[in-house]
Amino acid sequence: MSQRKRASNTQSSQNKGVRSQRWEAVLGDDEDDPSFTQPSTSQVQKGLDRLTPAQVDLKTAEVVQFIFVKDQKKFPIRRADIVKHVVKEYRNIYPEIIKRVGCVFETVFGLKLVEIDSKNHVYILINKLEQLEGESLNMSPSNPKTGLLFVILSIVFMKGGVVKESMVWNTLKKLRVDQGERHEIFGDVKKVVTDEFVRQRYLEYVRIPHTEPLEFEFRWGQRADMEVSKVKLLEFIGQLHEQDPQSWTQQYREATAPPAAPAVVTSANTSASVSQR
Amino acid sequence: MRRAIRGGDETAPPRQNGVPGGKGDGRAAERGDAAAAGADDDEAGCSPAEMQDEDNDPARRREIRSKYRDLINSVQQNREDMLSPTNNKLTDVLEEANKLFAEVRQAREAALDAQLLVLATDLGKEKASQLHAEGSAFDPSAFAEHLLSFMGLNRLEDEDEEEEGGGVSSGYLPQDAWQRVATRAQCCFRTAPSFHYMMGSFLAELPPPRQRVERQRKVPGREAKRIMPTQLRRMEESHQEATEKEVERILGYLQGYFNDDPTSPISYYEFVIDPTSFSRSVENIFHTSFLVRDGVARMYLDHDKLPCIAPVEEGEVEAGGTSSRQQCVISISPKSWKEIIEVFSISEPLIHPPSTQHTE
Repeated sequence: MSQRKRASNTQSSQNKGVRSQRWEAVLGDDEDDPSFTQPSTSQVQKGLDRLTPAQVDLKTAEVVQFIFVKDQKKFPIRRADIVKHVVKEYRNIYPEIIKRVGCVFETVFGLKLVEIDSKNHVYILINKLEQLEGESLNMSPSNPKTGLLFVILSIVFMKGGVVKESMVWNTLKKLRVDQGERHEIFGDVKKVVTDEFVRQRYLEYVRIPHTEPLEFEFRWGQRADMEVSKVKLLEFIGQLHEQDPQSWTQQYREATAPPAAPAVVTSANTSASVSQR
Repeated sequence: MRRAIRGGDETAPPRQNGVPGGKGDGRAAERGDAAAAGADDDEAGCSPAEMQDEDNDPARRREIRSKYRDLINSVQQNREDMLSPTNNKLTDVLEEANKLFAEVRQAREAALDAQLLVLATDLGKEKASQLHAEGSAFDPSAFAEHLLSFMGLNRLEDEDEEEEGGGVSSGYLPQDAWQRVATRAQCCFRTAPSFHYMMGSFLAELPPPRQRVERQRKVPGREAKRIMPTQLRRMEESHQEATEKEVERILGYLQGYFNDDPTSPISYYEFVIDPTSFSRSVENIFHTSFLVRDGVARMYLDHDKLPCIAPVEEGEVEAGGTSSRQQCVISISPKSWKEIIEVFSISEPLIHPPSTQHTE
């Protein structure tokens, strides 16, 4: 399969669009990313020339809506799904569409579309704006799972970024949350923590090598890295302990360190070229 | 046999001569065949032949490997124990491994040694991370206790809750315990709001009907004036005039103050409040509202979020005030009137009371 792909890539750029589409027809429109190769900028331009602005706008709007609905569960959105279900025959101008989508999110909704995995091309939506204390996002009572997540993220952060799962479970037990029992609010807690939160990219549940019997550790997930303000976390923890957040010097330093630049989808970095994979 | 005696706790089968280390050979040796030649002196042997024997003795090799496996097992089983900062068991293990390593000759033993080393370094890393060089330590148990308090745990007083080793605070945890934590913790997250449908309809046609209503309201007013009898009209007009005159007068003050110093904003409260009379202040507010309604004055918030008022420049005044209409309701009570006077240190009214007064 991959050999055929390479062959198609060496063709001249003019034929590439047609040829890759033919290969896609042969290979079938499957879930895997390999069926979609990022078109070059010249291809994108050609594609745009063939369409009216209204068509492109409509497609952009459809992608925005798709992402919104997909984001409800907070599972990351795959590029393959976007292409398969919405972009479809407009895939040759995908980079342009996704760039516009990113702009719409930022300027109209104040949200950021971030590609958290540039290898598998997976996106999440986060808020550009800070939430003020006491105000809830949509006037509805907050989800108690947020509380559970907060506790776990706090433990991991305060303990240096990695924590054995046993420590998390032991602490949760003191809060009357037991992974062995069904919790009246959270249900199957182990599933919520090790499956749901991990799929949402709030947590990473990683095997510790060389352990016998098998043990796992928790780390912050990519979504947590982007969404959670460590400073505010520390503030709340300080409030609980009646301590100055700065008294945890290492954690405070880490919380106030300048953040790494996320791969936000904006016009600045989606002038896609073939070299980008 | 010297060898058997020296074996001590090891049940090592007698050695075989010149046989390269192999699994099957060991079992053959168990039959007890002791080829005596060169069988002794495993340690004292300096001759190459004897060294070769030592290296190849399957029994000895097995022994070494078994010792390594024991060490590895003990590290894995007693992981928690070794992590404790109070002992040096890890160092002991490493020393033991060092001793064993001196006798390693073949790849299999070396592989086991490597495995042990990896385990030990993992442990070493964990031990190091436990050291808190600076700042307060973070104790998850204390964290849990504080959280329980925050959640509103009703600790039962007559039960003794303090127990070492994972004692759980007893007491009644309210239903909304986790909700409380979630509400407070929510502001730490920059989550995108989840898509949901807005309740109710959203018609974009509202503005036009409002305009029509306004025009209708004005027309009857003018007609009504004409119909009324002369005497009554005069009285009406006098009231009307009084209001209009007052509004005009206040506009005059506003423009005057503004022209005195166009750059300095006029605080709304300072403008309308009369420290000598509550009712006058209310009337000022009432009259000023006409100015805003007619679009000849505008109110805005300054950088301290305090309301200010300023006249609208000539040419900006739009007929009927159809530009962006915003409404607000201002209320004032004698108590807040006094507070405002105190806060803003208003000593005399900016709007001087008229000389002829009908209410006071």
